[in-house]
Amino acid sequence: MKKKISPLLILFAVLNSSFINSQLLKNLTSSYESFSAYYLDDSKTGNFNYDNRFRSNNYLNIKSIISENWNLELQIESYSPDALLNYSPNLKDTGVSTFKFQYVNEKIDFTIGNFYQQFGSGMILRSWEDRNLGINNSIRGINANYRINDQINLTAIYGSQKKGFKYSKGYILGFDTEIDISQIFKNNSTFILGLSYVGRNDNETTGTTYQNTTNLYSARIDFSSSSYYTNIEIISKSKDPIMLFQKLSDNFVKKGSAFLFNTGFIKNGFGADITFRRLENMSIYSERIAFGNTFNESIVNYLPALTKQHDYSLTNIYTYQSQPNVAFIDPGLIKVGETGLQLDLYYFMKKETSLGGRYGTNLALNASFWNNIDGSFDFNNKNYSTKFFGNGEKYFSEISLEIRKKWSPKLDNIILFVNQFYNKKYIEEKSGEINSKILVIETTYKLNKNKSLKLDLQNMSTKDDNKDWLAFGLEYNLNSALSLYVSDMYNYGNTIKENKIHYYNLGASYNKGINRYTINYGRQRGGLICYGGICRYVPESNGLSFGVTTSFF
Amino acid sequence: MDLNYFKLTIIILFFTHSIYSQTNIPSIYIKTLNGKSINSKSTLNQNGLTVYSFWATWCVPCINELDAIHNEFDKWEKTNVKLVAVSTDDSRTKRRVRPLINGKNWKFDVVLDENQKFKRALNISGIPHTIVVRGSEIIYRRIGYKPGDESNLYDFLLKNSKKVID
Repeated sequence: MKKKISPLLILFAVLNSSFINSQLLKNLTSSYESFSAYYLDDSKTGNFNYDNRFRSNNYLNIKSIISENWNLELQIESYSPDALLNYSPNLKDTGVSTFKFQYVNEKIDFTIGNFYQQFGSGMILRSWEDRNLGINNSIRGINANYRINDQINLTAIYGSQKKGFKYSKGYILGFDTEIDISQIFKNNSTFILGLSYVGRNDNETTGTTYQNTTNLYSARIDFSSSSYYTNIEIISKSKDPIMLFQKLSDNFVKKGSAFLFNTGFIKNGFGADITFRRLENMSIYSERIAFGNTFNESIVNYLPALTKQHDYSLTNIYTYQSQPNVAFIDPGLIKVGETGLQLDLYYFMKKETSLGGRYGTNLALNASFWNNIDGSFDFNNKNYSTKFFGNGEKYFSEISLEIRKKWSPKLDNIILFVNQFYNKKYIEEKSGEINSKILVIETTYKLNKNKSLKLDLQNMSTKDDNKDWLAFGLEYNLNSALSLYVSDMYNYGNTIKENKIHYYNLGASYNKGINRYTINYGRQRGGLICYGGICRYVPESNGLSFGVTTSFF
Repeated sequence: MDLNYFKLTIIILFFTHSIYSQTNIPSIYIKTLNGKSINSKSTLNQNGLTVYSFWATWCVPCINELDAIHNEFDKWEKTNVKLVAVSTDDSRTKRRVRPLINGKNWKFDVVLDENQKFKRALNISGIPHTIVVRGSEIIYRRIGYKPGDESNLYDFLLKNSKKVID
């Protein structure tokens, strides 16, 4: 694929700069994104012990609407001389990453090439791109969608899955039907049924106790009215071998299942949502041997952690990862999946009330509890049986309260309090448990129409693991284009003196229309970082980094 | 050598596109808050300007921007402008969308772009991202949000909505 890039690029460049096809020209859009870094040695966190201190990830996406119904898309990626740290070794050099031809009319949407697709909530199938996480598990093949009418929508897919510039050896076949039966109800509520099938064929790993093709079936219901909604999704997965000490077992072969129940109640100024989810042996990869790989390559389905997604540095130290898999590590550390719930409450205290004040006050409460599945486990004979209800060991819990308050046209505050329990032994398969409390206070002060200051102060107090942390972030927006920031997080409570490290960062971002340029110097602990209006995941490192985001249209 | 072609293409794109800058809103199926599929084009304000604000429940600057607009929305409602907040929340966080917008009492339209098809079709890489459309033609785009941007956007809309009425 990589060798074909030069003629393809020239073809695009010629089509693009030629006056022959004005239609193609008029309807061509593209975007370019680049993240580069120059890594430095660090006296505290250690020297840079890899090849190539300079590394760069580049993405060029070109879309063209050829006619009313036809369009094509090409994405070229370049990782030269190497990809940024923490990206898959399959991302190397320059090459065509994705390519597709698409035909669309009112009823039909037909794609040949790479496509992104999701069935239901994604627990059975999801292909998507997330450059910050290095995920692009798009499927190369055929995606056919037929909208029979406003009520019935059918989708069929077939193909193999992208991993870096390569493709999985296994293939995926899928069908999805969505039926809207809302008209049965004589009111404004909607009622949608969904049925899906996904088959993963992998001939590379074969066994006598399981089939080459693993079948997944799902059914879902989505009900929604003006003030109330419920959705339920159930999935069953056929027998699949369990990975034991990096090897697929021929004797330890189990079915999998997923169950999701979500309901919510809403009215003006108030919203409540609760989700219960149970996952047992539910991971599926387009190649069995890819199980548990750290780069999230060849993932067929999407099983995210259902917890509040934070974006302050200290709230992201102990981040829960969902536990959908079977793991028999030792007799004292056995996992077969996860079960738990998440609750969200939102309340708006009205303007001109005693608690709401002049501008009103926003409250958001989130709580989540995740446990191992209850059951009986036989470590020696590698077997287990589970119960649908009941909890095993606790993995994680969190309760957080966020208050957003505007005091005047110039002054805003966000106050966030988090109480967390993190079971490092079960989540990371290491040892220890962490109980922590985090307080964040963010203040934004507008100096004039375009000039503002934003300061966040954070504290984590815990007697466990690396003990207490302090952090701050200060952002100064000089005008509508330029902003400067400085931030630091410091593990002041660490009992090992050498580990009391400042993770400092300073940088600038320049935004003009759809162009954005960033520069950053500092020591990254890793996690989600948000400054100058954009959030991004960053890997752990020390160095100088640059970013460019732009679109041409 | 490949990298040179890569750079060359970017340069060519840059020059040709500064000449030809016209793009329409693509036709993509997104969902209403009730889960019904609708075409992105049906969200357009036929007689005036449409503002698409791409956001997510976990994106603090996005919420800051929409809260800032919400605080001035009485003013916005008097113009011929329609605001569509496009949630790019995936299934991890999309259940928070309805409770959150009700909790916040936002009065503008909110649609769901769960697997980010609409976002991808518009070549958006990061959020917040704001797009202003006249008819179905994109006339303004902005990446990111800083306090005060909402006032600049309002001024831009006021200036351009007059043109629509004229």
